[in-house]
Amino acid sequence: MAEELAVRYYKPRENFKFDITDAENFVYDMSRCIKCKGCTWVEHTYMPGPKYMTRCPSAARYEFDAYGAYGKMRIGHALVEGKLGWSEKALEVLYACTLCGACDVGCKRNLDLEIELSLESLRVKAVQDGVGPMPAHKKIAQNIAQTHNMYGAPHEKRTGWITKEIAPAARAEVLYFVGCAASYKNQEIARSTAKILKAAGTDFMLMPDEWCCGNLIFSAGLYDQAKALAQRNVEQVRKTGAKTVLLSCAEGYRMWKVDYPKLLNISTDALGFKVLHLVEYADGLAKDGRLKMKKPVPTRLTYHDPCSLSRLSDPWTPFEGKRGWMGCVEPRLKRRRGEQGVYHQPRELLKAIPGVNLVEMPRTRENAFCCGAGRGAYEAFPDFSKWAAAHRLEEVKEIGAETLVTACPWCKSNFAYTLKGDGSAVQVRDISEVICAALE
Amino acid sequence: MAFNKEIYKALEAVVGSQYISDDPVICEGYRSGPGGYECGLGYERVMTRLPGCVILPKTTEQVQRIVKICYRNDIPYVPYSTGFYGPRSHPHVEDALLIDLKRMNDFVLDEKHFYVEVGPGMIYSPIQEVCMKHGAYVIVGGGGAQASAVANLIGDGWSPLSHRIGLPHRRILGTELVMPDGELLRLGSLAAGSDPFWGEGPGPDLRGLLRGYTGLRGCLGIVTRMAIKTMPFQPEPLVPSGISPNTSLVLPEKRVKWINFIVPSKEAQVKAMREIGHAEIAGAVTKVPIFWRAIARAESKEEFWDIWSKENETSVASFFIVRVLLIGYTSEEQMEYDEHVLMDIMQEVGGQARPTKPSDESWIKNADSAGMWLMCGSYVSVDYVIETLSMSSVHGSSYAELKKKYTPPLMPDYADPGWFQSFELGHQGYSEFLVYWDADDDTNPVDQFYVDTSKMNIQNRYYTSLLGPHQPLYLTGPNYGPNYHEFLLKVKNEFDPKWKSHPPVPLAHDVFVERAPWMHYMKDWKSPDDLPK
Repeated sequence: MAEELAVRYYKPRENFKFDITDAENFVYDMSRCIKCKGCTWVEHTYMPGPKYMTRCPSAARYEFDAYGAYGKMRIGHALVEGKLGWSEKALEVLYACTLCGACDVGCKRNLDLEIELSLESLRVKAVQDGVGPMPAHKKIAQNIAQTHNMYGAPHEKRTGWITKEIAPAARAEVLYFVGCAASYKNQEIARSTAKILKAAGTDFMLMPDEWCCGNLIFSAGLYDQAKALAQRNVEQVRKTGAKTVLLSCAEGYRMWKVDYPKLLNISTDALGFKVLHLVEYADGLAKDGRLKMKKPVPTRLTYHDPCSLSRLSDPWTPFEGKRGWMGCVEPRLKRRRGEQGVYHQPRELLKAIPGVNLVEMPRTRENAFCCGAGRGAYEAFPDFSKWAAAHRLEEVKEIGAETLVTACPWCKSNFAYTLKGDGSAVQVRDISEVICAALE
Repeated sequence: MAFNKEIYKALEAVVGSQYISDDPVICEGYRSGPGGYECGLGYERVMTRLPGCVILPKTTEQVQRIVKICYRNDIPYVPYSTGFYGPRSHPHVEDALLIDLKRMNDFVLDEKHFYVEVGPGMIYSPIQEVCMKHGAYVIVGGGGAQASAVANLIGDGWSPLSHRIGLPHRRILGTELVMPDGELLRLGSLAAGSDPFWGEGPGPDLRGLLRGYTGLRGCLGIVTRMAIKTMPFQPEPLVPSGISPNTSLVLPEKRVKWINFIVPSKEAQVKAMREIGHAEIAGAVTKVPIFWRAIARAESKEEFWDIWSKENETSVASFFIVRVLLIGYTSEEQMEYDEHVLMDIMQEVGGQARPTKPSDESWIKNADSAGMWLMCGSYVSVDYVIETLSMSSVHGSSYAELKKKYTPPLMPDYADPGWFQSFELGHQGYSEFLVYWDADDDTNPVDQFYVDTSKMNIQNRYYTSLLGPHQPLYLTGPNYGPNYHEFLLKVKNEFDPKWKSHPPVPLAHDVFVERAPWMHYMKDWKSPDDLPK
């Protein structure tokens, strides 16, 4: 290390921390981008050929370098240094992006720069500077403040998905956090999740008064509001004594597992409970023999990795330290590179279902092309979102899949919406629905 | 001065409003540096400018129309494919038009005639993927799997696989070039209206002018289409495995295999390489910088320094490795034969085979150049030399010696003699010297080292690749000529009399030396008073 070498290499160390409320913490990362564009290309070992070369929806859709992480880092650096002012175009560049993490894992193959955190910090800066978020995000923030859900729907209807067959326990070790999407719009996912748990003999409880997880406002840079929700929700779960928070929404999963600890400046382990997505939990149940998927589901099926369940889901650990010579940091940092993503569990579950013929798309796992719906993009730039979904669906059609399965209501809705009216026979299902279909 | 609005409208009419912008945010996205190849150095700080406008053509015809508008209206322009090649591929003058060629990513495989035809927006790894599926392969150049194949081939275009496949000059086939004034020039069989299967003719063969030794960075026009020769490969699949960042191609061991050998001396290294070439075996024969081993082993940049800091000049000077890639091009039996021959050679030179993973992390499909930034954050190859095998190893030692004078700010590398390897079955030796530094240090000595390497090459008569726009032309030209500089400038004036295609290349490094006060003391060569300012 630097101090063990000759004194001529001594360099004063600079303090920094993984605190996205101050973009200065990420100037090093923004300034060290080398334009290898590893953030955009599918990782070269897995490069499937000329047709599907990229994994960044923004760069693929808008094409100017400004929209890839290599451009955003330069623009962000100039904004932080005061060499460039905010403008409508700057906001578009930052917000017409799904923060899907493809750039982050790509960079961490080559350079280990903190691209995702840099992008998040720039959105927080936009809010701090009074120019962000986008109007659509402000409306949603207002909805959440008033009705505790992003749609502005009546709060009392949040449990409207519960049918007479579903009986959540008053207390249980597993707490199912349903989320806004499955509570109001994709109720089939919540119902399927409850049926799976029942079939495996797992009691589950709900939060006594569930509120939005805050994914969208956090993603839009409304840090303080998101932090308040994190504090409230974590406290509520702790009060219940639940040992596991279970989610069927990938975006919510990432919020609970990664961004709540980030907002609260604690590690994921320090939450006091486990955070699991349904596919992790169900995979365990299937391996224990408690979940029996015997009923054939004859279909040629492909699985879309939701970004927040895969490359964005490594657990969070706060970091505060110093950066010195050659950019080395102390104390040592275990970088989040997407290696711990939930990649194999959904595939093993699907393969275990009789009749399912699982075929992979050209871009999978950490190289998957985002559906386009996440992190506020769908609300602020719907055309972009639809374009991204259509682009991904080309892969689905090319491999001849009859069913597209995902593990997030946001992906499911965007794909289903995009498929409407295009004459395709592809059906979109959440993985909970497919598992449910295999239960006798 | 803002980009002229009338000209903007004329350009917009060519590509449509979606594919042109002079918005400051869009232009900022095309900044060279502060990070990147050669970035953070004086050349980047002194010589690069933000573009005044960016345009994204889709077709050759659009490129022609754009260039004609520029030429007529005296607008300087710069062709740009992926932007990876640091400051030298970015604008050097105010209000230049940056012509981003990424949309020109056409790809055609002609399996029967063993070539692919690509646009400048097509990168290497997809080309290799398709080729391998059809029993062929190309060199993924050392510039990286992410490099534009066209840009890399007219600039560099080699890798360890050059042991067998050969130099880029011999792999560029029919090529299409938009001249600086917008006229179209077709090279090789394309000129006769045929398909591009042949590079030499019957039309004009200007490939030597186009790329020279290591290219002219777009100052002679824009290559919009190129056919690249492919070579036969073995048929078994190389299967991707692992989760990023730990990914690799699993090799079919009976058809493709890397073997690392430790040999007793540099002489043994060179002899082994020569004998392997003479025996016409192997797909690659190379010796890479020793610190690349530390990069491969380390999980992080901090761990790299833990590993590397344990080395010293003695341990580096006494470490001799030869990496050999065996390929059973025609059969398993051929591979077995090659392996027997290889083992005989190694026995003769005293080489010991080391356990080697049955996978490929770099070179076949993923030349991992981007990973070179991990440990320091700043990097450039100061030189590449194509020499005899014997001389290429001497060249590395000369560099190691010169480097000591500039360390720090260069990273302590304990006189690592760089990378050298066999080209063209041992006919040539290739040597490359890479340097690393911390961008936050005083980097002026790195600029000085760069020019000093040229002086060292001149003194020792090494065949350096970094002529033309890479070093001061009036330093290298008289010494590698005696009129190399005059010849090159005549070519430039003939192709581009108005100097609108990436000015002031090929005199950019001369201009840099004039503009950078810390370079003045080094200037012991003559240059004209009327250098472009």
